[in-house]
Amino acid sequence: MARFAGGKAPFLRLSDQKRYNTNTIMRDFMIAMLPVILFTWYKNGIQVYLDGYINVFEMLYPLFLVIMGGLLSVIMEGIYFYIVDKKERSFKDIQRKLSTSYAAIPGVILALLLPVYTPIWVLMVGAFIATIVGKMLFGGFGHNIFNPALLGYAVVGFTLSGVITDAGGVFNASEALMDSYAGVTPLGALANFRNSTEAFSYDALVAPYGSLWNLFLGTMPGALGETSALAILIGGIWLIYRKIIKWYTPVLYVGTVFVLSWIIGIMAGEPGIWFPTFSIFTGGVMFAAIFMITEPVSTPTNPLGKVFFALFLGVLTVLFRFVGNLPEGVGTSLILMNIFAIPIDTYAGIIRSKGFKKPTMPYVTALASIFVILLVYTLVAAGNMYTAVLPLIRFWQVI
Amino acid sequence: MIFHKAKGIQIDGRKELCKKHPMVDYLNPDTVYIPLVHRNLKLEPKVEVGEHVKVGQVVAQFSTYAAFISHASVSGEVKSIKKVWHSSGKMVDAIEIENDHKNILDDSIKERKNIKELTRDELIEIMRDAGITGMGGAGFPAYIKYQTKEDIHTVIINAVECEPYLTCDYHHITMNPEKLLRGATYMMRAADANKAVIAYKEYNKRIGRVLKEFVDKYPDVELFPIKDIYPAGWEKYIVEQVTGETYSALPADVGVIVNNSSTSMAFTDAVEMNIPLISRPISITGEGINQPKSFNVPLGTKVSELIDQCGGYAEGLDPMKANYIAGGPMTGRAIFIDDLVVNDTLGAVIVKPFETWDYPECLGCGKCADVCPVYITPTEIKKAFERKNVKLLDLLDANKCIECGLCSYVCPSHVEITDAVKKGKELLAKGAK
Repeated sequence: MARFAGGKAPFLRLSDQKRYNTNTIMRDFMIAMLPVILFTWYKNGIQVYLDGYINVFEMLYPLFLVIMGGLLSVIMEGIYFYIVDKKERSFKDIQRKLSTSYAAIPGVILALLLPVYTPIWVLMVGAFIATIVGKMLFGGFGHNIFNPALLGYAVVGFTLSGVITDAGGVFNASEALMDSYAGVTPLGALANFRNSTEAFSYDALVAPYGSLWNLFLGTMPGALGETSALAILIGGIWLIYRKIIKWYTPVLYVGTVFVLSWIIGIMAGEPGIWFPTFSIFTGGVMFAAIFMITEPVSTPTNPLGKVFFALFLGVLTVLFRFVGNLPEGVGTSLILMNIFAIPIDTYAGIIRSKGFKKPTMPYVTALASIFVILLVYTLVAAGNMYTAVLPLIRFWQVI
Repeated sequence: MIFHKAKGIQIDGRKELCKKHPMVDYLNPDTVYIPLVHRNLKLEPKVEVGEHVKVGQVVAQFSTYAAFISHASVSGEVKSIKKVWHSSGKMVDAIEIENDHKNILDDSIKERKNIKELTRDELIEIMRDAGITGMGGAGFPAYIKYQTKEDIHTVIINAVECEPYLTCDYHHITMNPEKLLRGATYMMRAADANKAVIAYKEYNKRIGRVLKEFVDKYPDVELFPIKDIYPAGWEKYIVEQVTGETYSALPADVGVIVNNSSTSMAFTDAVEMNIPLISRPISITGEGINQPKSFNVPLGTKVSELIDQCGGYAEGLDPMKANYIAGGPMTGRAIFIDDLVVNDTLGAVIVKPFETWDYPECLGCGKCADVCPVYITPTEIKKAFERKNVKLLDLLDANKCIECGLCSYVCPSHVEITDAVKKGKELLAKGAK
């Protein structure tokens, strides 16, 4: 008679086969970011070097920044594990803990969110906020409420933006010398139209950066990772092919931003399809759609929750972008929505199993009414802010 | 439910392990142990220690309810009543019968002449007296389904065997296809139905082939191949595939009765020869077994004897790094000591070594919710269970869980999510009272 090990059904696990488990998911996320990293190195390093504005070492700086982002996060988490657990301090223990903590990913994403000439010490502050405050203090991998990278980016953006601007900001050496950019990013240019009686136009928003094609390729000023929709889409297709993200989350999010921007454009007297297209290719909407709203930990788990999350986020992004005083709007809205991921998940779980029946009506009504109020408010306020054309909308000011 | 269609995913079946060997009849073990338990009910022994019993003699019965009944599976002397491991994971009392290898049949076992004239009630009575239970795993007396007041139009024979590794039904059917077809017709008559449908996995082409040879002789029996997915053997899934209808409580609500193929074959024996349920097919398989095989064994046989017949455990097997699973790998139970006896619901014993790795935390990818065949959200139920929030468990429909194990199967972080949902379901059942 032999004594066997215990265990819980089912005794077959896909994750044991090493072909698909959390380690491979995280590896695939890293692979998906490669096109973005390579493109940004090309745009902010190699191209500028070929133009003759920077030397070889400066050419490597964008790549260095991304690698340092990952490395710093890993080191910081290693130190954190060392300090927190007094019993397991050997190199092997820390290595084992790091292997299921996936520290490098928030660091790399953080670096991609920052402008080209961010000083390393600023990156270090960001990485500290991201990994230690945003992730480890919440309980480590799997327990963070906020997207760690985004939290680091928000803190750095709110407190150290002056430092970054002084160091060169989002413009790389060639872009800083381009007359047509006039020192503003596309969305910065859009913000200039706030409360102006003049309607925004293709010539003012897109023409300085070339054409919509340039916005799609990413040859415009902007943070390291956010500019190239093409590179991001390649990563996204990889993630969808590997069944790591759902296709509908990014599609719904980008779609919501697209449709709402179009409506706002029409209200502002600019019905061309170029405006919503401009809107989704700028300010990191694509980057967020592929890499941030699909980040599994801080967003809803169940499929219906993902749908709600993407829709709400789309509306909030437009609200922050057009009405709030934050030109990008993506990061802020995502941080706000991260807080609501948990209730959305619960509500969606209830609605998903019970359907639209009596017991779920309070939840359906709550979600739907918040969504409608947000939607109406966004459209009315944004229309009010950007148009002198439709006087009907201006009743908001009267109220 | 917003989405109604039942779904599942394809799982690596690993049935080849066991398929290549033909089924072995192992009908004369030296000793058998008839467990004195049926589901959760304790049975009372009807024989004394030292008494000689015949094959098919009633040896134990539940005190008030005649349907829970056990028969002697070999003839011989009752040695003692002692504790053995049962597939429910507990130790239970069992009647130890030493086989005299004479195979003396009880007087009641004889060929039935008037099969054609049997009425519905008589067939149900035969089913009850033979102690035929759901051999797919439920273990509930089968005749209760047939006493329904609903108008039954179809009897479905579930030969899908969707769990990985298991091949006992496959072997049992391919060895004796006509028995299954006859059983299907008897069940159809017992339910007053118009037709019987045999649902099998299209992946098991041989079942389709052997059944097609004979199916022409049985005009009321149809064959129905089902996609190779898990959980295709789930009652609701089969009924939906065959009839296109869904039900909430019992298949009888939509005029259907579903029975396992082994149950049907046991019923053939009961009708034609009046042999009660005394044997069943079982697969002894898994990577930890030297030569995996399927057996036809009397109930009460020790599994360790069967494993010896398979050449023992695989070389170099470390028992502490292997699971000894009673039942299928998706829904079965780990038994700590390899001292199990075969009972009516035990379709397989799987010995399977496992490897551990550093499991990460749940990352919230949502795979578990994606694959769930009943569209509940396992992660939310787990959280609600951890907070002991019964009201939320009810809202999240924790009681809908069919415990198929898919959520744990797909989980990339190796979270014991099925177990958490099961516990949530238990808490809800307790809290609702």
